Amino acid sequence: MDKPNTVDRRKFLSALGVTVGGVGVAGASLIAPQVVKAATEPAKGKIPDTPYKTGHMTFLTGPAAVLGDPSLKGHIMAAEEINAQGGLLGKRKIETITADEAAGTDANVKELRRMKLEGKIDLFTGVISSGNTPALGPVAEELSLLTMFVDGCTDFLFDVAVPNPKYTFRLTNIQSADGITAAIGAAQAWPQTRKIAHLHPDYSYGRNASEHFTLAIERLLPGTQVVSESWPKLGTTDFTSHITKILSSEPDLLFTSVWGGDYVAWYKQALRYGLFDKMKVATTLAFGVAPHALGKDHPEGVLAGVHSNYHFTYPGGDRWPINKSFVQRYFKRWNEYPNFQSEGSYVTLHMLKAAIERANKLMGGWPDDEMIIGQLEGMGFDTPSGYLYIRPDNHQGYKDAVTGFSKNNPEYPFPTWDQNRIITIPIRNITAPANWPKPGKGHNESTAAANWIKTTWPKSVG
Amino acid sequence: MRWLRERSKVQLAAVAAAVLLLLALLPPFIGVYQTQLLTYGLIAAIAALGFNLLLGYTGLLSFGHSAFFGIGAYTVAFLARDAGIHSMELYILLGLPISALLSALFGYISVRHTRIFFGILTLALSQVLYSLAYKLFWVTGGSDGLRVPRPTLLAGLVSFSGPGSFLRFVNSYYYYVLAVFAVCVVVMWVIVHSPFGKALQAIRDNEVRAAFLGLRISRFRWVAFLISGTFTSLAGILWVPLNGLTTPEILYWPFSGEIVFTALLGGFRNFSGPIVGGIVFTYLKTYAVATTEYWQLLLGVVLVMLILVLPTGIVGAVSRLADRLKAKGKS
Repeated sequence: MDKPNTVDRRKFLSALGVTVGGVGVAGASLIAPQVVKAATEPAKGKIPDTPYKTGHMTFLTGPAAVLGDPSLKGHIMAAEEINAQGGLLGKRKIETITADEAAGTDANVKELRRMKLEGKIDLFTGVISSGNTPALGPVAEELSLLTMFVDGCTDFLFDVAVPNPKYTFRLTNIQSADGITAAIGAAQAWPQTRKIAHLHPDYSYGRNASEHFTLAIERLLPGTQVVSESWPKLGTTDFTSHITKILSSEPDLLFTSVWGGDYVAWYKQALRYGLFDKMKVATTLAFGVAPHALGKDHPEGVLAGVHSNYHFTYPGGDRWPINKSFVQRYFKRWNEYPNFQSEGSYVTLHMLKAAIERANKLMGGWPDDEMIIGQLEGMGFDTPSGYLYIRPDNHQGYKDAVTGFSKNNPEYPFPTWDQNRIITIPIRNITAPANWPKPGKGHNESTAAANWIKTTWPKSVG
Repeated sequence: MRWLRERSKVQLAAVAAAVLLLLALLPPFIGVYQTQLLTYGLIAAIAALGFNLLLGYTGLLSFGHSAFFGIGAYTVAFLARDAGIHSMELYILLGLPISALLSALFGYISVRHTRIFFGILTLALSQVLYSLAYKLFWVTGGSDGLRVPRPTLLAGLVSFSGPGSFLRFVNSYYYYVLAVFAVCVVVMWVIVHSPFGKALQAIRDNEVRAAFLGLRISRFRWVAFLISGTFTSLAGILWVPLNGLTTPEILYWPFSGEIVFTALLGGFRNFSGPIVGGIVFTYLKTYAVATTEYWQLLLGVVLVMLILVLPTGIVGAVSRLADRLKAKGKS
């Protein structure tokens, strides 16, 4: 992979570190995790007992609530666990106020200001849409408000909107990984693909997924062509015209990044047209919704993405006890299974707790935001999904990408992954490294990752 | 008689000056959050003031005023991104002629019709702009919109960077918007009380009679449309630096609906109705979103109550109440 040339596709995939099967635990990790021990020893210094106020913004209404509801549940569960131990540093109980992200980007900007200036929150978290984080990130910076976005994972946030973040962090995987992961999964499973149709929500997420998928697939399967493109508005629930357009273009493969309630509506309508019998389907977020939002009618064999983040069945069994225990506790608390948003917002609060405890251990007393930020930068953390690493240069969380194929497992009332065909990819192989030039600094690609693929990936043959 | 009219004018000016003084003295007492919310409110008031020249004084219900608010906002965003301009005065100086041109064009098409046909035409035209802003992703940022950095004020004399700049900006910008708002109110007051304004009201009340008086009705409506659109785009121009970004939401028809709502809320039969409506609506929406996830329902209920119980809006109801109290006091 040193210089752009051509390589054999199998070798290419193995150079990307693609692992298929349910055996490897979270792939080969690029980081040495600094294991955070549970805080058994008491906090040093004097700790105030005032509540620690958090603001959680997520979709409480509308088609995206099938992601928003799990996000809030993960947050609440983590807060309850921490509060049961007396709170942060054993003293400060976590209090949460919420805001509905569905109010629209402009209203969300106003609401963030209200939460900080009037609600006096100490931490802002949540946020799902990639249309919102680039608007909210700069506002959080200007308010000097510690912010840990759970999602809204567009590359644009730290590539362009907030290129030198101080207060802003983000935990879920970087978005360009979504399109690339789906491309690798599709190229590996269906190398005969020649004609590709695209179906994406018409905003930054859909654009980003489409662009990075295409960049990667051009190198993995040269000679493929795009035969149709559809861009429904985010929140669309009638896909009839898009489905007929896709069918009439007769593709081998449909790639879609439609998500949330939109995806549920789409697959049910596509079933009526027999779409899944006529082509292979690769997605970035089919399994992104709360698991029970999908029915057993969901077709099998679909590349069912989870935002390259997490599905509660992987790592499964006893191989990754943190996950087993998290899923059990989540099920006990909410009587449902978690999705990647639940995991993300759950991890967010526990990561904050760890950063506060470390800072306290170093300096004593309640740490100020600068000290918490110092601990979060570069932190490695064991999470239910695997190892998570916060890169200090851009405050972005990275974890190995994972995706799988849908299958009906009698154990669950909804489809899950085929445990023998889970694909894991080391994140370092599919994302631009630290300090790779950002857009506008020597190149005009939409993301650093796009430029990195164009300049460093070879083309495969055969 | 004339003496009486002069005296009521002086009284009015005194009341307006007192309100202005009160608004100017508020920020230190209400804190930075309320100050910026009030700035949003003043901007909404300017938009509604422009809108009401058509609804209240000309009798034309526009369902497309989002187009003018949006064109003001997007013009600023393009000036900031593509021309590298970061001066508020330049935004206004360059933004107003562009908005006036668009208002003239939309007005030329729309004022040939009245009532529902006029409403539908304005709605359709505004949705053309919405579709462009939404679909031209690589130009307008699609639904992500465009971000606008904080501009300098007063020809670069006041600029904002470094720590705490947001708080300084909110305070300075409040007074900036307040000044523009005051000018807008005076200009609009002069317009509606001028012979031109009287002619508009005559057209509103009886189109046929106005025509027999020799008024060129469609010309008057066109000019009213032009002024109305330009006022609303000035609001859009002022709104964007405060909000920090513009998205197609402000071009979408529900936003036009919000402008109509604002005028109804305050009362479109009074000069000050839209001003009160703009400020109250800003607070109503902000706190509805903050307190309940059923905020849309809450706003809907308020609208229905308004139509059923307070058809003349807040200002209409208050002035009627005042009249009644006065009458009681006399008897």
